Amino acid sequence: MDRRTFLTTSSAAAVPLGSIGAAGLARAAAAPTPIDFKSNLPAPGSFPDRWICGSPSCMDNTDPPVQVHWYNPHTAILRQNKAYSYEAPFAPLYFGNDRVLLLDEGFVQLRNDWDLRGVVDGCIADWCKRNGRDPASLELLVAFSHLHADHYAATNQFADRPNTRYMGLTQEEMMGFWGMTNFPEERVTLDLGGRDILIWGSPGHVMSEFAHYDTYTQILYTGDMFYRGRCYISFWQPWFDSMKRLIDFCDTHPVSHVMGCHVEISKDGQDYAYGMTYQPDEAPVQMTVQQLREAFEYAKTITKPGIYFTGTVFLCNQTRGTTTIDQNPYRY
Amino acid sequence: MEPTKTYNPALSGNPQSATGRVYPNGNPDLGYNLPGARNTDSAVPLHRGKPVVHDYACDGPAPGAIGFRSTYGSNVAAKNRDPRVQVIQYNEDTFILRQNVCVHWEAPFTYLLFGNKGALLIDSGATAEAHLYPLRETVDAIIARIGQVRGWRDIPLTVACTSGEDVAQNQGLRQFAGRPSTTVVPTPLAVMKQHYGLAASWPAGTGRIDLGGRVIDVIPTPGTHKDGVSFYDPYCDFLFTGDLLYPGKINIGNDRDFLASLERLKAWTGSHPVKWIMGGHIEMMFVPGKAYPRFATYKPYERVLEMVPAVLDEAIQYAREIQGHDRMLIRPDFILLNGVSPDQRTLEWPEGVPNINPPRPF
Repeated sequence: MDRRTFLTTSSAAAVPLGSIGAAGLARAAAAPTPIDFKSNLPAPGSFPDRWICGSPSCMDNTDPPVQVHWYNPHTAILRQNKAYSYEAPFAPLYFGNDRVLLLDEGFVQLRNDWDLRGVVDGCIADWCKRNGRDPASLELLVAFSHLHADHYAATNQFADRPNTRYMGLTQEEMMGFWGMTNFPEERVTLDLGGRDILIWGSPGHVMSEFAHYDTYTQILYTGDMFYRGRCYISFWQPWFDSMKRLIDFCDTHPVSHVMGCHVEISKDGQDYAYGMTYQPDEAPVQMTVQQLREAFEYAKTITKPGIYFTGTVFLCNQTRGTTTIDQNPYRY
Repeated sequence: MEPTKTYNPALSGNPQSATGRVYPNGNPDLGYNLPGARNTDSAVPLHRGKPVVHDYACDGPAPGAIGFRSTYGSNVAAKNRDPRVQVIQYNEDTFILRQNVCVHWEAPFTYLLFGNKGALLIDSGATAEAHLYPLRETVDAIIARIGQVRGWRDIPLTVACTSGEDVAQNQGLRQFAGRPSTTVVPTPLAVMKQHYGLAASWPAGTGRIDLGGRVIDVIPTPGTHKDGVSFYDPYCDFLFTGDLLYPGKINIGNDRDFLASLERLKAWTGSHPVKWIMGGHIEMMFVPGKAYPRFATYKPYERVLEMVPAVLDEAIQYAREIQGHDRMLIRPDFILLNGVSPDQRTLEWPEGVPNINPPRPF
């Protein structure tokens, strides 16, 4: 099966018939009717009013290691606990009739420290129970938005999981995973089994980053190149071009929410400095298309490196040598 | 004493051994009966008629050792089960307390010193809530034990900060409010000066805290904080410098004061023996010039806490260099940040210093 086929073929069809045992045939006989992911769009869903966002003392944190929020019955959004890693990225989990897509992970490697694998298995079991499916019948795709460790650290937790494929840790393997040959312009369609995810290139924060659009919820997932916090722009022109690509996409496709990987800003626009483990008043993770457009308009006026606040996000244009906004409070 | 030729590490133990001691199995050249033995109270008498009086006079620094590693957090802070307040006894009269890194990333060090008439707590940690950071409870327990050992009914406690304004060191003060037999040195600068009798002589003069046979000097050292002071302990020969000079990212508040205070401490080392400079935090790693970022809750490669007094010369040299410039300057044992963000980074690497990147925690 080549990459093109992989993207568009459901996994069930790819399993050789001989490998389906009697139990498999029995399940197949009782196969539930497929879920319709293409009518009445966008599928309604909701974000929590407040995400779990750390604690004053990390060792006294009693929140779950991963917060699981069901945006709607077929879409979960996972978030790492800030006391497990300050990066605390968000990770969408999209369910289709044949496959499940996990986008991004968290900044901890080992299962004994942080059991992302167990949480994802739990979500899949939960979804299967609700929808009368067998978890073994679903293929899990583990992918990440870009090549930074807070997004792929837990990858190897999935190495021994059956029916699972995950992305490699190089730009080549990332492109190859999505079968791309013309990054970043090329837009591929990933079929999860009646639920299409559109994926294209979005470099700028790093060279290898993707944008993801879920046709079911119509959430545009912008990774680390655009999120509610400090958008570290390592390469200006690729980033600006990626923003233009996002705007063009929004001009031609309905988008319910724009969502990034992190939140590093308070509701009233205060910066939570890099590394903080407690963000008691953090802003929501979801943004509007309007906010994206405003940021792009603002970006058009930027001509040199520096930190700029668009009203929604900080654009840290080629400031990787400073990273923060705050000053020494004891200066006199 | 200098090692002599009679000691042969190949035969009798070399300094690469696990304990890290220069003489892992002792140094026979020193003999058996060292004068410092008299500084430690004997446990032999079964009944004591009167309270024990310690002898704080000694030639050179009092015997003592940092025999254990500081706690350094954990990869997953939520799963850390280290003590909230780690206690390391340096010697019978000197305790080093460290706040758990996973309670507060600043993980400040707090020092508890005993004399014949009282105890001094230098600094108070970064967390006010006693259930998260039970400093008062720990100090009370140490004082109660020492009181029993020495036959004292009451040990008055003084709590003093190396900077009253520093929220990484003043938060624990609240736990001592209302504690009997306790003097908390007031934190507003003017009142603090008055308390030490420095109202007219700040920053040139010095104050005193008499613990009974052990008189701690208070040396004004503004620079990282406008109300910064350092404490000198003539028993252990320690300078407690708080935020002014420590193995970490030193955020300079005022570069002229900073240099003047370092020079004041340098002059002090000319007239007083100093074994170690003990700061309030550790941020450096044990590879030269590398530091943990702010808010880090896992610091397995931390540098040791103590600094030799020669580091003052280096600090003075580079404090001069940085004066008047908004910049970051890396040295092997500390990093100076003047007029820049506490998270400033730089591509300038000091010449002649090996550039080693320790492995990531995972």
